[in-house]
Amino acid sequence: MQNVIRQHAEHQFAEELEELKKQDRQQVPANWQLSPQAVVAYLMGDTLPNGFQVTPKYIGKRRLMEIAVATLTTDRALLLYGLPGTAKSWVSEHLAAAISGNSTLLVQGTAGTGEEAIRYGWNYARLLSTGPTPEALVETPMMRAMKTGKIARVEELTRIGSDVQDSLITILSEKSLPVPELNTEVQAITGFNVIATANNRDKGVNELSSALKRRFNTVILPVPDSMEEEVEIVQQRVKSFSQHMALPVEKPITEEIRRIVTIFRELRSGVSVDGKTKLKSPSGTLSTAEAISVMNSGLSLSHHFGDGSLKAHDLASGVLGAVVKDPVQDKIVWQEYLEAVVKQREGWKDLYRSCRDIM
Amino acid sequence: MAVHVLGIRHHGPGSARHVRHALEQLRPDIILIEGPPEGEELVRWATHAEMAPPVAMLVYRPDSPQHAVFYPFAEFSPEWQAIMYGLEHRLPIRFIDLPLTHKFALQQEAEEKDTADIQQEIHHNPLQYLANIAGYEDAELWWEHQVELSQNSVSTFEAIAEAMQVLRETHPDFKNQLEPLREAFMRRGIRTAQKEMYAQIAVVCGAWHVPALQQMPSQKADDELLRKLPKTKVETTWIPWTYSRLSFESGYGAGINSPGWYEHLWHHPEDDGTLWLIHVARVFRENQIEISSAHVIETLRLAHSLASLREQHKAGLLEFNEAVRTVMCMGDDIQLQLIWKELIVGHHIGNIPAESPQVPLQRDLETWQKRLRLKPQELPKVQALDLRDETGLLRSILLHRLLVLEIPWGENRDVSGKGTFKEEWELRWKPELHIQLLEKAAWGNTVEEAANAYLTHLSAQASQLPQVTELLEHAIPAELTVGVAALMKQLDVLAANTSDVQELMQAFLPLVQVKRYGNVRNTDAATVQLIMDSLMARICAGLPAACSNINEDTGTALAGWILRLDQAVLLLEEEAYHAEWYEALEQVLTTHQVNALISGTCCKLLHSAGVFDADITATAFSNALSRGNAPTYASSWIEGFLKNSATTLLLDDRIWSIIDDWLTDLSPEIFQELVPILRRTFADYSGAEKRKLASKAKTGGSVTMVSSQDLEIDQERARKVLPVFYSLMGLTHA
Repeated sequence: MQNVIRQHAEHQFAEELEELKKQDRQQVPANWQLSPQAVVAYLMGDTLPNGFQVTPKYIGKRRLMEIAVATLTTDRALLLYGLPGTAKSWVSEHLAAAISGNSTLLVQGTAGTGEEAIRYGWNYARLLSTGPTPEALVETPMMRAMKTGKIARVEELTRIGSDVQDSLITILSEKSLPVPELNTEVQAITGFNVIATANNRDKGVNELSSALKRRFNTVILPVPDSMEEEVEIVQQRVKSFSQHMALPVEKPITEEIRRIVTIFRELRSGVSVDGKTKLKSPSGTLSTAEAISVMNSGLSLSHHFGDGSLKAHDLASGVLGAVVKDPVQDKIVWQEYLEAVVKQREGWKDLYRSCRDIM
Repeated sequence: MAVHVLGIRHHGPGSARHVRHALEQLRPDIILIEGPPEGEELVRWATHAEMAPPVAMLVYRPDSPQHAVFYPFAEFSPEWQAIMYGLEHRLPIRFIDLPLTHKFALQQEAEEKDTADIQQEIHHNPLQYLANIAGYEDAELWWEHQVELSQNSVSTFEAIAEAMQVLRETHPDFKNQLEPLREAFMRRGIRTAQKEMYAQIAVVCGAWHVPALQQMPSQKADDELLRKLPKTKVETTWIPWTYSRLSFESGYGAGINSPGWYEHLWHHPEDDGTLWLIHVARVFRENQIEISSAHVIETLRLAHSLASLREQHKAGLLEFNEAVRTVMCMGDDIQLQLIWKELIVGHHIGNIPAESPQVPLQRDLETWQKRLRLKPQELPKVQALDLRDETGLLRSILLHRLLVLEIPWGENRDVSGKGTFKEEWELRWKPELHIQLLEKAAWGNTVEEAANAYLTHLSAQASQLPQVTELLEHAIPAELTVGVAALMKQLDVLAANTSDVQELMQAFLPLVQVKRYGNVRNTDAATVQLIMDSLMARICAGLPAACSNINEDTGTALAGWILRLDQAVLLLEEEAYHAEWYEALEQVLTTHQVNALISGTCCKLLHSAGVFDADITATAFSNALSRGNAPTYASSWIEGFLKNSATTLLLDDRIWSIIDDWLTDLSPEIFQELVPILRRTFADYSGAEKRKLASKAKTGGSVTMVSSQDLEIDQERARKVLPVFYSLMGLTHA
């Protein structure tokens, strides 16, 4: 397991989950690994009575996580909704890991996701030789979650076509999955629930039918409120990335993170931090997730091709790539921003020069 | 002689319930309440049958009503419950806070010294500290969970007192300047009651003051503090209040954000949220947002899970709001705002007994409101008035009079359609209007009297003609004869002094409306006639001079006024005005250097009034378009003449051919230059008119009218229509 690029949440934070479980004094719902309070503590970070530190997974409003967890204790499913890069999938993965100890029961929604990816499929070789038998049935993560009483995750729900989406209705309202070919059904046992994520930007592509909407409680995950919050998120994720990729982080890179986050926030909100300069916004979303990847690519650039310390020119190409999604429109936006803000700002000369160089 | 100090939070249903319980247990023989002593007189009205909270005790300085303090009471205010208990059990009730006579005087002193210290009381909330310690972000929320939702009355007050004691010790700097005085007064009130040998004294005051009233310093120190306080005259009255204004910070300091929710808590302390969420669902449905009972069930479940997750014994407003947002609103805040306005705050407006002490002006207004069945409401309401009907007329008069008094209860909106006997008002009563009313109380004891007096005062101050005109526009529909007379006089004086014809015209126009519809409004027209005569004379005398040597912008504006005045003159059907007016227009035409647009306009008006016959018009036209004039002059002139009068061009072949000649004579360069102006002239023509013009141009300008000879008309049958036609037109059968 050491060599995988990215571990599942339940493995990466196995120790924390174990410790939380040991210390949990609250009532644990049937088939849950932790009590709702402990799940919130796992997500938001906490210091346990024995001094054990739980790292925060979600940096933002505690109330939102409470609503999400409380929803999962009722028999309604949870829909996490928000702009790309606002930690929807991240939250969904950690929720599943903390509640069921398993975040792998995942259905990835795409425009091509068919009904068999949600309900069940057939092993056609078997089906032809033996006819419809339980052995010929291919279970989906959804079906397995129902059988074992765990959390199933559906990513990008609104990318899935409406007809396929609606196959979720029976699962969510009747908590059962009929298999007419075998004249049987799979009934969900307690602990089963669904966390779906959907993207604001896809609004209207495959709008949820109102019948399905009614089965979901919606929590909107916002972009980070404050500068500090966003810096913290980026910092944390960058740290874990560099540990992971064995990149030495030589000196505190908080300053660089702050600069990147500032650039992203300013372009996103269309106004400079001091509120004095009005800016155009580029077409991309410039989410926190993108800030993290800019930092990560900067770190690896500096490590492999530089002297190991993070310089402005290591970041410049990443920023350019994140901001300029449309080669014509966004380039103008970026150029204006460079001249109007970056050039004027004290101590940002290096960044300005590096960015000008690669334009 | 036991003194029981009950520390409360102003407007909290839990506090109110606790106070009620405590009073029933303690059975006091006197109740002392944190409130202005000046208001004691008013307390007895509280149990009056017509009294319906929310109401506010208004304490103001009669010499400047803007210096006013409100003490709002809702049904769920602990003070209100204490008052009710006292009145029900016939106990003496005293208000023991710092008298406002001192507070206002201190304020005034501070203002005079220009140290705004007292005015800018820093709003402090000591509860915030306790809330933060308990891990709450919001002090109101913390209080709600600890006190408002708690069902245990007796121990609560002791706990509050202890908590406040500790807070006061740790944060002595919370105090503001007036606080020592206020607390000294409250202690004095308690001492007085003790001296009068009351055995069980109940004191209801803000939680923060509890420790200061439990540990009495020496009487001497207090007396020292309260010596020689300045005084000023104050008066008090009850006024109706609204829920949305309960959040006002006045009198009792902190307001509350969610009176509607508190009211619900007060009436349904046992509700687990079912009732509340059903109300929520109903509001959504009324606004065409489909919410099923299943939604309500799910919301309730989520709210309860949230509460248990947060280890609260009961779901509070926050949990319900979050659950509603998540389940019913797809995570969106926008729809939740609807609930906020409709339910959480609420639209209630209070009522006070008619005979409770009030300023005469206020009482007069209420009499009118009752008589005309116009209820003051906070929700904006649109009311259509028919001025032919007496009630409608009186209502309109009342609203107009209030407007004159600068009390904008109603907003007069433009009505579609031409009928002048109809008015549409948007009515919205705001509690601040009471202050405006009090401010105007000095002008008279009835609305009419005050409005007349105020108008006379304003007219004497007016130094510009447009000011008077504007006042007049308000005053005439308000039927303020005295005020209007004063205005007329002022108008006359100012008109004599002004040389601006435009202002004179502006003043003339509203008078035309008065005169013409005088019968609808029963306004005395004789005075108006006099003023109009003199105004008309002045306008006609000044007009020719005003039209020459002016720039294009002024010309356009003036042409607009000339058109409007012409309409007015036509409406009035007064021979004298006709003659005078058209004579003036003719003079304009012959004046040297007249603005081209105005000249064209005047010519058009004279032509259509029949003063200029076709020959004269044609001469004037060819004169204006002759080569001696610059092409721009010509095109402006055409604009003046032809704008909005396509028919002239269509029907008058002579004018058509003059234009035709002029156009064909133009060199291509000049034509290009003129196209924009010409375009502007014809742009306003309707599609049909343009089409007809085009077809006329196509045929060379001769065949346009359908010749009537082509039709075979049955003369006999046509004649039969005539009698009806004559009687319709009011003509005698010729």
